[in-house]
Amino acid sequence: MAKTMDKAEVNISELLDRPWITIVWDDPVNLMTYVTHVFIKLFGFSKERAHELMMQVHNEGRAVVSTGTREEMERDVQRLHEHGLWATLQRDDKI
Amino acid sequence: MSSFEKVGDGYSLDLTLDEAHILINLVEQLLELLGEGDFFHHYDSSDPLAQLLAMPSEIVTPDDPVLLRLLPNAYADPEAASDFRRYTEPQLRGAKQKNLRLVREELTILVDENHGGVIEDLNADIWLKALNDLRIALSVRLEISEDSFDKFELLPDEDPQKPVYAVYFWLGWLQENLLGLLT
Repeated sequence: MAKTMDKAEVNISELLDRPWITIVWDDPVNLMTYVTHVFIKLFGFSKERAHELMMQVHNEGRAVVSTGTREEMERDVQRLHEHGLWATLQRDDKI
Repeated sequence: MSSFEKVGDGYSLDLTLDEAHILINLVEQLLELLGEGDFFHHYDSSDPLAQLLAMPSEIVTPDDPVLLRLLPNAYADPEAASDFRRYTEPQLRGAKQKNLRLVREELTILVDENHGGVIEDLNADIWLKALNDLRIALSVRLEISEDSFDKFELLPDEDPQKPVYAVYFWLGWLQENLLGLLT
């Protein structure tokens, strides 16, 4: 029979629930207008939000464009790669 | 100069014969490069499940820098990247090939008939992605960086790389032109 969860296990479960993130990296090739267009198309962002994220990629070298389960992020990365953007996924390390 | 145009709900592209030749040449070279990994013949034929799902077992990280940029690693961790690649690369490669084949089909009409002209009713989304992949491929070969345009302008006309740079920037102009019509 399973015993009642203790505190340590709760923490592990929180750790496992930590979301995954999709990161788009800057490159000198993709046009700023194209990156904005792809963000709107794939994620349904407003023009303003898409532009803001594109500028973050451009100025800071990277931006988190989506958050969710590992499977969801894998799908997002694949769709970004289909559009020629340089994207990776990882666990959110900010939590 | 050639350009995309919005015609009703659709898009068209007016090209000279020379431009059509340049584009089809690049498209065919990239198709050839993407076809190199002849992955359908590499899965272990003794494994019935691999056969059933047509799941290739030997997909490795590409050596060619152009392929590595077009089919990049999804994870920083090499093992996770390699696992992900095994399951997803054929689809990604296939999507890129499909875009390029469609663009090639539309260019073939102009090239075969040996004249420039207008490609009517083209699929803007596919052209955008194909143009982008062509630019990426050229950029890797040209080692494009933020200051490449200045470098290009300073190159003497007789430099053998000058026309390649010119094509690269022309493709960027075309892509920007099409994007401008979409938004």
